[in-house]
Amino acid sequence: MQPKRKPFAYAKKTQPILVRGAEPELGCLFKALLSRYPDKEWGTFAWFGWRETPYGLVLTIANLDLPKHGEMDTEVGNVVFHERYTLRMALSAEERELAPGVIHSHPEGCQTIPSWIDDGMDTYLADYFSGFAPGRPYVSLIFAQNESGQVSASGRVFWKGEWHRVSRFTAENRQITLFGYQQPSSRQLLGERALRTRLESAFGTEAAARLEGSTVAIIGASGTGSPVIEALARAGVGNLIVVDPEHFTDSNFERVHGSVRGDIEDVPPKVKIAKRHINAINPNCRVITIQGSLPQKEVVDAVVWADVIVGCTDQEHGRVALSDLSVRYLIPAMDCGVTLEGQGGNITGQIIQMVRFLPSDPCVYCRKMITPRIVSQELMSDEERANRQAAAVLEGNRPANPYWQTLPQINTVGYLTTTAGGMMAGYAIGWITGRFSPPFSRLQINLSAPWLGVTDDPVTPNQNCPCRRMRGMSDQGQVDMFISPPLHWKDAVVVESGPKERGFFGSH
Amino acid sequence: MSKRIERELALLAEGGQKTTLVPGKWSSNDVQCVIYHDVPSSGGEKGLPATADIIVPVPSGYPASTIDFAGLRVGSPFLGRVVGAIDAHGSIEANGLQWQVVSYHPHTGGGGPPWDPMAHGFHTYVTELLVWLSKTKEI
Repeated sequence: MQPKRKPFAYAKKTQPILVRGAEPELGCLFKALLSRYPDKEWGTFAWFGWRETPYGLVLTIANLDLPKHGEMDTEVGNVVFHERYTLRMALSAEERELAPGVIHSHPEGCQTIPSWIDDGMDTYLADYFSGFAPGRPYVSLIFAQNESGQVSASGRVFWKGEWHRVSRFTAENRQITLFGYQQPSSRQLLGERALRTRLESAFGTEAAARLEGSTVAIIGASGTGSPVIEALARAGVGNLIVVDPEHFTDSNFERVHGSVRGDIEDVPPKVKIAKRHINAINPNCRVITIQGSLPQKEVVDAVVWADVIVGCTDQEHGRVALSDLSVRYLIPAMDCGVTLEGQGGNITGQIIQMVRFLPSDPCVYCRKMITPRIVSQELMSDEERANRQAAAVLEGNRPANPYWQTLPQINTVGYLTTTAGGMMAGYAIGWITGRFSPPFSRLQINLSAPWLGVTDDPVTPNQNCPCRRMRGMSDQGQVDMFISPPLHWKDAVVVESGPKERGFFGSH
Repeated sequence: MSKRIERELALLAEGGQKTTLVPGKWSSNDVQCVIYHDVPSSGGEKGLPATADIIVPVPSGYPASTIDFAGLRVGSPFLGRVVGAIDAHGSIEANGLQWQVVSYHPHTGGGGPPWDPMAHGFHTYVTELLVWLSKTKEI
């Protein structure tokens, strides 16, 4: 008779934990994990970046440390790490800041609930690594694939002396179902779905469920951001994080979706208009609104929970910050900018630019799409900008002091920003549902040009760029970060912190 | 201190260049500054000191923003001899001292390479400072 299994001791007060992976590590991981399928398991050690936020812990798969010949037992069906493998990892842990962890498979079609052997292994390894990697989480993930190729997963993390279950997985281009996860199926949501039957018939029921369980962060809630927000709320995205530092002004009225006449007098923060509009469209949508900008801490703390980030600030430093986040925290992101060009009283250019930032894509600096002078001018205080411009004039506008050049005023109109925002929302929906991806790297279209003047600018990453070594490093890659928040910026304020229940940051 | 600046100053220390990161006030605004201590000059033949301390403000949003400017202690004999106007940018108060900011912009057309945050930093800016102190004008 088998002895009764002692229940594994999880923390009584558990916290949301998100694990995120991206290509090419995921492809490499699954090739290894499934290498002895269908009957036998396999595993590997891995290194995780992490960020502790007020909402929970976010982990990113930064590197795999696949077993070398003889480091795992090939004679048995389950996973057995030899001592030399664990010792190699322990010594490696002392030389890096990443969190150690184990990822292994269960045989095809099996559940991913940890076995009692897994309980023993995790208990041993968490204790073992605490001596070599003190203060860091220890991560254990289990994946299994069924005959249809569907992947399910479970995970747990030893963090600050307690075990916590992984509450969410996100993976670029892959759908991973958390073990025990049940899709939302309340009557309320079924009623909601009736409002989106066209989308559901085009994309499928599963896609609609994914939208309900997804989180999208929109950076910028003005001309381009507000139509993104509207389209995503109408599509049934369940969780939205809206970030914008500004208050509404009368000149915004022509472009900002959801704004009403009364806002011209009240001048509310743009994020409040966004929240009001979302609630009017979909009262079930959970919303966090932050009056701030990337890369302020409060903003990053929330945005790292997103499945997709949509950048709508149309500023160079915003693109830099978005690219940094995408690379370090493995978050698919998309940036958008629009401008009007004119000559002789005619509109000659109506340009929309969209840039895709997958974690494996080249960063803004690999793409050479950033002008440091403009970034510097955007980031300096009004007082500093005025001082520099005055000084530059005094010095005779020398080339060596270019700050006399003013930042260009970007002219936009509502129909153009709405077009751009609608397209951006569409690509976000494509990513979330897995139905399509942006088929470009950096797209420009010109509504005034024949055939819309479509251009793409595919660039391969510069292998010597720091963006290659900071991939998936999360906070532990801060040494290579692209941008820091200026000291003169007002503190970011979390206006609406969203519901505290697991829905937002928990199981998706 | 940001990890990025910490690493750059550590690289400078490895090369023998002493630096300190200090808080300062520039036109009543808080600003972080790096002080490069005893930067060698070639001013000996011109009757100038063999070294100088130089202050450089950390630009807002660093490293996305370009490092520029260089400051010398108020009263430094190098003031007026080094490249850049000295009367347009005021002074920085840091480390208990007043530093005169000089309009030196090596990465924006002032003689150095264009700013590349993936390659440049406070660890490379020392080269621009060495060049700066080595090209003093005769009076």
